[in-house]
Amino acid sequence: MTTRTLISPAQLARPRGKFLYWTAFVLVLVVFTLVFIGPLYWMVTSGLKSPQEFAQTPPTLVPKDAHPGNYADAWGVMDLARLLGNTLYYALGALAFQLVFDVAAAYSLSKLRPVLGNVILGAMLVTLMIPATVLVVPQYLTVLDVPIVERNLVNSPWVIWLPSVTNAFNIFLLKRFFDSIPRELLDAAAIDGASPLRTLRSVVLPISRPILGVVSIFAVVGVWKDFLWPMLTLPDPGKQTINVGIYSLAASVTENWLLAALVIASLPTLVIFLVFQRHIMSGLTAGSLKG
Amino acid sequence: MRSSGTPRSSGTRRPRTRRRTTAAALASVLALTTLAACGTSSSDGGGDDNAADAADAGSPLDPRTKVTLTIDCMPPATEKAELKQWKEDVEAFHAKYPNVTIKGKQTDPCLEPPRFTAMLKAKSQPDVFYTYFTDLQQVLDNDGAADISAYVNDRTVPALGDMDPDVLDVMKKDGKLYGLPYSNYTMGLLINRPLFEKAGLDPDKPPTTWAQVRAAAKKISALGDGVAGFGEYSAGNNGGWHFTATTYGLGGDIVSEDGTKADFNNGTGKQILDNLKAMRWDDDSMGKTQLLKWGDLQKQMASGKLGMFIAAPDDITYMVQNLGAKYGDYGMAPIPGQKATLYGGNDYMIKKGVSSDKVKAAIAWINFKFLTPGKGQFDWARTKADGLPVGLPQPNFWTGRTKTADDKARATSSTMPVANFKAFTADPVQGRPEPPKAQEIYKVLDTAMSAVLTNEDADTGKLLDTAEKQVNQILANQ
Amino acid sequence: MSAPTLSKRQAPPPAPDSRGRGPWRERAAFRQALKRNLTAHGFLVGAVLCFSFFSWYPMVREFFLAFEKREDGATVWAGWSNFTYIFNDPAFWQAWRNTLLFTGLALLLGFVVPFVVALVLNEFRHGRGYLRLLVYLPVMLPPVASVLLFKYFYDPGYGLFNRMLGAVGLPDQQWLQSTDTAMLSVVIAATWMNMGGATLIYLAALQGIPGELYEAAELDGAGILRKIWHVTIPQTRLVLSLMLLMQIIATMQVFVEPFLLTGGAGPEGATLTVVQLIYQYAFTFNNYGSAAALGLVLLVLLAVFSAAYVRLSRVSEE
Repeated sequence: MTTRTLISPAQLARPRGKFLYWTAFVLVLVVFTLVFIGPLYWMVTSGLKSPQEFAQTPPTLVPKDAHPGNYADAWGVMDLARLLGNTLYYALGALAFQLVFDVAAAYSLSKLRPVLGNVILGAMLVTLMIPATVLVVPQYLTVLDVPIVERNLVNSPWVIWLPSVTNAFNIFLLKRFFDSIPRELLDAAAIDGASPLRTLRSVVLPISRPILGVVSIFAVVGVWKDFLWPMLTLPDPGKQTINVGIYSLAASVTENWLLAALVIASLPTLVIFLVFQRHIMSGLTAGSLKG
Repeated sequence: MRSSGTPRSSGTRRPRTRRRTTAAALASVLALTTLAACGTSSSDGGGDDNAADAADAGSPLDPRTKVTLTIDCMPPATEKAELKQWKEDVEAFHAKYPNVTIKGKQTDPCLEPPRFTAMLKAKSQPDVFYTYFTDLQQVLDNDGAADISAYVNDRTVPALGDMDPDVLDVMKKDGKLYGLPYSNYTMGLLINRPLFEKAGLDPDKPPTTWAQVRAAAKKISALGDGVAGFGEYSAGNNGGWHFTATTYGLGGDIVSEDGTKADFNNGTGKQILDNLKAMRWDDDSMGKTQLLKWGDLQKQMASGKLGMFIAAPDDITYMVQNLGAKYGDYGMAPIPGQKATLYGGNDYMIKKGVSSDKVKAAIAWINFKFLTPGKGQFDWARTKADGLPVGLPQPNFWTGRTKTADDKARATSSTMPVANFKAFTADPVQGRPEPPKAQEIYKVLDTAMSAVLTNEDADTGKLLDTAEKQVNQILANQ
Repeated sequence: MSAPTLSKRQAPPPAPDSRGRGPWRERAAFRQALKRNLTAHGFLVGAVLCFSFFSWYPMVREFFLAFEKREDGATVWAGWSNFTYIFNDPAFWQAWRNTLLFTGLALLLGFVVPFVVALVLNEFRHGRGYLRLLVYLPVMLPPVASVLLFKYFYDPGYGLFNRMLGAVGLPDQQWLQSTDTAMLSVVIAATWMNMGGATLIYLAALQGIPGELYEAAELDGAGILRKIWHVTIPQTRLVLSLMLLMQIIATMQVFVEPFLLTGGAGPEGATLTVVQLIYQYAFTFNNYGSAAALGLVLLVLLAVFSAAYVRLSRVSEE
């Protein structure tokens, strides 16, 4: 790291400084590992224990005899494959809808600039001022019987997908990024006779990869972590998300199975995170810094 | 029992109708029927197509009528035996009424509050739909159920005369009948027999008073190893629900007769809280983990860590089917005090606005499947043959001769030691419905329950004062 | 800051059409403008429809709901009765007290802890990637998993936390089961779950501080604390205030953590929050009117913070 920080390099170079630095470093390393990995370790090992061993006091640090079968049982009994599949389906659908509708909207607002465009943008941004939890009740009543089309969206994936498009924050991020694309680039494409759609596809999107990544992460993580909305709108056990499904089954399975289920439920996002950690972390800071 | 898989603790549910005097309601049904039979236009319906058919409403379904009926709460594929029985019954019914088609919808669990609300709001309920006893007001608020008073009589439902009037009463509002029962329960004391034996107690003589419960709990928790003697809810409105049941057991009431004032801030209420507090803190016989709600105590008991709790018989089915418990390990005693007990259950209603032929067909099917002793859900010999449990004391909404016959049939086919429930069944405690504005009141009472179970220094008198004030406010607010 | 592409100024609006005048040209220009507008609105239509149905219409409906009630199958005008109902509900004031307590504690922990962690991590020359990864790990867990984990840890009987206290000779705590510690316990769990995001943002902000400023401060003989006070905090003030407002807005809407940890109300209602109460009104009591009324009250309060946030983020763009 070349950036100069709070403590001067000279101070650190002294023997006392070095000692303090390493003491602090090791301490932080150990404490952080315990605080953040410890619970995960507890979760994984508890999922391996027998119900008796789980209830045992004092608890065992390492399972005396491991029951990997718990994981298989939890998988089967709680139908985790279905819950995970559902969640993935909702998340990918929401991602697709947001990428298509929100990108198109942001592009139009940024580059095509229709009449009343600013009014529409303003109306979208106003929704950011309304706390999401306040809107849950009227939104819920709306999806029960969507006006004009008169459909009940409850228990259908649309109830996740369509409202996910109303993400003014993503539109805002995208629009700001598109704003920063030089006009000349688009004009050049227009002179070549490219339609707006083509310009979007072949000029704008390729250079917008970083922001599209950020928006995609928000979209997927948003659906994956949401609780209240899917709990209300997807009550059918066969259609629930992993969060809600585990919550509603928590009372009816033994503790070790429940913990095994939690491990399984945590794996997909953890794996994605570990693989894409650099992108995700830089994306999230970039995205949320300027709100 | 389909209902059993559902955490049907009414504690997680909504307000219900006000209590009515049974006799008057029954009389009004009869009167209505007579009136209808005479062809006089009754005060029914309010202008929908049912009114025109009022004249012959009371007559049974004509077998020539061609009707297709949709109905929910058909057993899901995972419940093979129950589904097989459903299909058999549909076939048998079809043989009798060849022109009626029953289209079952598998909804598992049968009812979930958010889904139910959504269904009513969108008026998307099937022709015949499953509800809890406590749902009537919500259904009526959404204009969802047909008034079937004129259709139900002892020709269409022959066992009507022997049906527990308290149960029928639940499905009535202003003298009009809106549903027919499917299942019911009353609350009692569920005991863990092996723990009783281990603690040197006689599981065949379960405690009948709170003093005895306390003494037994003390002995059971003395077994150590994290075993608690008695367990109680104090979260998710379940605490208030059980406070109500306990109050009924001691002859108390939650709301005054006229429904305007709280009626628990008295000796009975104080006795309940003081007793719980003593068990929790003086005896330490209720375990350390509190703020429990439906499902938690069942889990503790199924894993052999809990001696007793207030429950309904189908909690046992839940523990056996979901938590790997064994029927033989449990027994039921009446609720301590035995003055009265809380009851609940579920029923089928018929969608408002369907043709009168559909109403008739629906009643014929409900009668065939759920209300005929020895048939359908009361065909105990078949239930046993299909490997399902027989011998639980409920559902049981019969009185008189029908009850005697049904009890006998149950005993003959029983698959579990029925004697374990003798204390509960021998002298049934009078059932009482939930108070008005039940959920809102339960929320208030939850606070008192959680206070005594989590705060060693809780002042029970003050808790009741506060709760009384708040409940009065709720009742004044309607 | 760390996203230079984002901070570029907005492109200028398209230049006014200057290609001659005359009726024919005007008509052509009009036709072109029409076409451009139709295309542009065509791109907008999907998002606008979604917003109309699932955002704008519910917003309007929220206002109407607050003044309506259901009576025997019909919706009737309720006047202010939903508001009198909630103001008369003792739970209303308790929920507000609890929510403010939660917000206060969450700011103490959830605002200060990530900043301190970021400060410390920023000093390390080793293992920074690993530590950053650790802090962010819980953010990626499904909330149900994290919350249930904490529920086990908090259990006063067999829970891990009491074991640990016991191991170092401290008395058992009641955690979620005592009115004194219930809310704090919820905040601790919430902080563990959510601090990763804030930490990363602070880290990025810290890296944007020019090193010369520290050097200059050192020449003035400033110690670490003074450097933090005179350099670090002023330099990150904007990010800090934005995060503060964002956290206030987010924590006042807390729902999942208390809902899953204590079943909602907690001991003597100690963890009942405003959103919890909205949920209860709407989905337990089927009283949508009162839920909407309470929602409006929350909305008005949060609007103040939202407005401040929007203003500040405007400033940050300049």
